[in-house]
Amino acid sequence: MEEKLENPYSLKIVWAILLVLAPMPLVLSTPLATEILIYAIFAMGFNLALGHTGILSFGHAAYFGLGCYVTGMALRYLELGVFPALLLGTLAAGLAALALAALAVKRQGVYFAMISLAFSQMLYFLALSPLKGLTGGEDGLKFIPKLAIEFPAPLDLSKPLSAYFFTLFFFALAIFAMRQVLNSPMGRLLPAIRENEARVKSLGFPSHALKIMSMAISGLFCGLAGGLLTVYLGYVPLSTLHWFTSGSIMMMTILGGMQSFSGPIVGVLVFLCLQDVTGNFTERWELFSGTLFMALILLFPQGVAGTIRQRVRRRMAPAIPEQQT
Amino acid sequence: MHILLGLALGAIYILLAAGLTIVYGLLDVVNFAHGVFYMLGAYAVFLVISLTGSFWIGLASAAIITGLIGALAEVFLLRPLYEKHQLYPLLLTFGFSVAVPDLMKVIFGLIGKTVDYPEALSGFILLGTIPFPKYRLFIIVLTAVVMTSLWLFLKKSDLGMVMRAATLNSRMVEALGIDVARIWTVGFSIGVGLAALGGAVAAPMVSASPDMGVEITVESFVVVVLGGLGSLAGAVTGGLIIGQVVSFVSLFAGQYSKVAIFIVMFIVLLVRPRGLFGEAGRH
Repeated sequence: MEEKLENPYSLKIVWAILLVLAPMPLVLSTPLATEILIYAIFAMGFNLALGHTGILSFGHAAYFGLGCYVTGMALRYLELGVFPALLLGTLAAGLAALALAALAVKRQGVYFAMISLAFSQMLYFLALSPLKGLTGGEDGLKFIPKLAIEFPAPLDLSKPLSAYFFTLFFFALAIFAMRQVLNSPMGRLLPAIRENEARVKSLGFPSHALKIMSMAISGLFCGLAGGLLTVYLGYVPLSTLHWFTSGSIMMMTILGGMQSFSGPIVGVLVFLCLQDVTGNFTERWELFSGTLFMALILLFPQGVAGTIRQRVRRRMAPAIPEQQT
Repeated sequence: MHILLGLALGAIYILLAAGLTIVYGLLDVVNFAHGVFYMLGAYAVFLVISLTGSFWIGLASAAIITGLIGALAEVFLLRPLYEKHQLYPLLLTFGFSVAVPDLMKVIFGLIGKTVDYPEALSGFILLGTIPFPKYRLFIIVLTAVVMTSLWLFLKKSDLGMVMRAATLNSRMVEALGIDVARIWTVGFSIGVGLAALGGAVAAPMVSASPDMGVEITVESFVVVVLGGLGSLAGAVTGGLIIGQVVSFVSLFAGQYSKVAIFIVMFIVLLVRPRGLFGEAGRH
């Protein structure tokens, strides 16, 4: 009677993504490749909430930025090593997401989006002026000591290539962890909540607790991404907390295709590469990206990855569906 | 004195929030580009004043020009997306709010354009014994007039009645043979026209700059959510509250004025999830 459910996300996908992304520095510039990995972690984390659980959050900049600032402050003021600082940043972001979700879990749709937006803007303005002494206000958090690790191998993280491999290590960790989360019994319930929360609840599952967990894990990923950004940049820009960051990550995720494993990563890859290319010949990147984004929404309602998959599937399918019985 | 200053500030919030709430109520679209239209209104008033020299023509045409831009945006950009997930219109307005300020930088440059106070309204007026800036008093009066006419329009005119009906049940209205798509376009242009009026009115105080709409978008969300999405009375109350909060917090702890806005919203939403005037049953 007992039937083992097939895991929806196989290890093959994970390895495929890693194999495709790992040699990026051969094709792209190393800093761009590093940034792609960082934002890919961010987008994956964000998509756990939006795409997989169906939680509309417009405040994920809060967790990303918190990861950035906490890691940065741990490095600068507490003079911790890189690993403990990252851990601290990740945990802080996860806790913040947990707290916000616990407070607001009963609010649906747009109201949840608004509460999360308000939370992130609150942090933004806190960092901007009242906490200026700690955060550096508008200039961002600077003067983070030079970063290097001793373990497992001595690595000077101010060198682009070593920063890349450092980030790649965490990216691999994150992507395996994300697969684990989505394949776990809890992770299997999340799409059910997205599709029909009332039914999940009536089947006896604690849907609120699941949503809170989903947000908290999502926060952990975003915090890790933020911490890695701090390590890579060597400082924290205030814009990491701004609501445009929330919007951009949403943009990239949906551009790539939510509700899929690779979608957000594809979105980040496409978006950041385009940003890099256009940056070469125009300063008006925002004008370009905003317009491009509007065009993509109008043309690819399923996201880039989703639409491509659909096309392929259509091509593979027989031209005339067999309807005879 | 600070109550009045807060009132003037609240008045601008009210204009924005009323526009936002009409758009949300009618189209179910969370308009992240609302601040962009506020910014466009400020530029429109700057342009028209430099062409005609009259502040009053500028003020009126700013709302009308921007309202027309809004109608175009609704027809060409938003309309194809209504059938799809609720997220898409929201994302489209986000894309719009990224692109358009940048476009304004290309056209008008990075530096803001100052708009002079109209002569009749510069200087101070004595309220009892306290001197009060005439212009701020004018904002309060103007908002009161605009909001009253908006209310009368929605309650008494035929079009207003159809708009209210479409807010409640657009399918039913369509079944009665009314072109709802047109009503939506009108609603959207009225909504962003109000934002533009807010921007035009604010222009002499803050000067028109491409990024002026970025923060105010979120702040007008706060006002609307505080009052209750889709409720006009809520928008007015929310605007009044936020105006006072900003005014008084800046008096005592200037740095915290923006933080306070979000704290107030946080508290209200946790206690009363639908906002002060939100109707039960709507999401």
